[in-house]
Amino acid sequence: MSERPSLWWIDWRLSPGPLVRETIGRFLLFCLLGFALLTLLLSGGVSRILADRYAITAVLRAEVPSGEGEGLARKAAALPPVRSATYRDPETAWKEFLRSYPGLDPLRGAGENPLPGYIEIRIRPDRLTVEDVEFVVSALRAVSQVDQVLAGEEWLPRLLSAGRLASWACWGIFGAFLAGFFLFARLQERARAVALAGDFAFLAERGVSAGRLAFLRAAGAALSGFLLAALGAAAGGGALFLSLRKFPILERVIGSPADLLLPRTIASAALFSIGVALLCSATSLLGWSAARAGRK
Amino acid sequence: MIEGFRLGVYSRGTTLWDGLDFAFGDAAAWFVTGPPSSGKTLLLSILRGERRPDAGDVLVSGESLYRGNAALARAWRASCGYIPEQTVADERLTVGDLFRRSALAGGGGRETERKERTDRLLEMVGLRGTSAWRISELSISERVRACLAAELLRGPKVLFCDGLVAGAGVPSWEMLWGLFRALAREGNTVILAERRIPERWALAAGDPEPVGPFRVYRLPGPAAEPKGEPG
Repeated sequence: MSERPSLWWIDWRLSPGPLVRETIGRFLLFCLLGFALLTLLLSGGVSRILADRYAITAVLRAEVPSGEGEGLARKAAALPPVRSATYRDPETAWKEFLRSYPGLDPLRGAGENPLPGYIEIRIRPDRLTVEDVEFVVSALRAVSQVDQVLAGEEWLPRLLSAGRLASWACWGIFGAFLAGFFLFARLQERARAVALAGDFAFLAERGVSAGRLAFLRAAGAALSGFLLAALGAAAGGGALFLSLRKFPILERVIGSPADLLLPRTIASAALFSIGVALLCSATSLLGWSAARAGRK
Repeated sequence: MIEGFRLGVYSRGTTLWDGLDFAFGDAAAWFVTGPPSSGKTLLLSILRGERRPDAGDVLVSGESLYRGNAALARAWRASCGYIPEQTVADERLTVGDLFRRSALAGGGGRETERKERTDRLLEMVGLRGTSAWRISELSISERVRACLAAELLRGPKVLFCDGLVAGAGVPSWEMLWGLFRALAREGNTVILAERRIPERWALAAGDPEPVGPFRVYRLPGPAAEPKGEPG
C-alpha cells in the first residue's frame, strides 16, 4: 500500500449508500433547474411573449402601389431590430378588418376600398426596447410613402417596464431555487460531515491532514456538482427540445428548438454548471467547518 | 526508538505526572501498566503525536514530534496503528467497513488483495466470516479483535493498543501473545497500555521498570522466551 492515501471521492468510499440517493436527488433538481434556465434564456423572461404580441403598423398612403409597399417592407425588415416586416395590400387589410368587425361591409360603398395598405413590423424579442422601437419608428416616419406609424408609444414604456419586472421576477424565482439548493446542500453536507466525523477523525489520527481532507472533499464536490449540473442541463435541454417539438405553440413563448444549440445558450449552460460547481464546493467547505465547529 | 523526555501533563486542574522518561526500543512489544485514571490513554496519545505534552518532548528516531516538522509528525502518525479502548463511535459500521477505512488510511491498494488480507486477518483473530456484521452486534471482545485486525491490514510499523488485552479477554491472550511476538520479530514495535498485565506475561517479562505511576515491561522476544506459552 502506498504511504499517502488518496482522498479523492473519500465520501463515496466511506458512505456510498446515502450519497447515491443524494446524487440522484441533486441530478433531478439540476434537470429542473436546467429546464427552467434554458426556458428563461430562450424566452428572455417575458420578452418573447411581448415581442409576439407587439407590432408596429406603418400605414401607407392610399396611392402607394403594392410593389412599392412590398419593397418598403423588405427595407423595413433589413433594420437591425426588426424580426419581420409584412406588407398587407388594401384588399387584405379590408378582409382583416371585416374579420375583426363583421357586418361593416356597407362601409365599402360603390365597391371602393376605404382602407389603405400597411406594413406590419415585428421586433426581435432581444431588441424590444424603447430606443429600438423609436429607431424603427423614426426610420419609417422618414419615408414619404408612409402616412402614419402606429407604435403605441404612449403605453409602450409602461408595458416594457412591466415586462422587465416580470422577467426579473422569473429570474428571481430561479435564483431563489438556486439559493434554496445552496442552503439545503449545505445542510446535507453538514449532516454528512457529522456522520463521517468518526471516519475523518480516524484518518486524522493516522496522519491525514484535515486541510487536505477538506480541500479534496470540496474539489470532489465541485467536480461532481459540475458533472451533475452539466448532465442535468443537458437532460433539461433535451426535455425542452422535445416539448417544443411536440407542442409548437410553445415556440411563440419560448423560442425555436434550434436556439438550444446556439453558442450563447451552450455557454450559459456551461456557466450554470460552473456556478453549481462553485456552490457545491462552498457547501462542502461550510458543512465541513460547521461540523468541526459543532464537534469542538 | 520512541523516547519521551521529562514528560509532564497538567490535567483536571492538577499535575497528573511530570518529569517522566520513557524509551521504547524498536522491534519489541512493550507493556505499560498503570492504575485507573493514571493517564495511560493520554500517554499513548502523546507518544502517537496526537496530544502535545505540557512538559517535555517525544523523539522518534531522534526527531522531535512536537518541536519539529509538522509533516514529520503526520508521517509518524501515518506509520502508526492505534486500537482505542472505546469503539462505540464506530457502531454504525460493519466489520468490513473497518477494513475499508483502514485501507483508505493506508492508501487504498488493490481490492482483491485487501479482501484476501481481510479474510486472513479476521481468521487470525477468530472472527472468520464476520465482514458483514455490524460493530453494534459484536461483543466487546469481538470489537477489539476486529479493530486490531483492521489496523494490522495497513501493516503499521508501530502499534499502540489501549486496553486491548483486557478487552479481548482471556481466551484471546494466547493468540495475542503469539501475534505480538510475531510483529516484534518482523521489526514492528507494539506498545500496550493496560491496567494490569496477565500474570504469566509478567513472569515472562521479568521485572518492570517503574516510571511515575506506570510500570513498563518489555515482553520477551522469541529467542528469550522461557519454556511454555504464557497466556
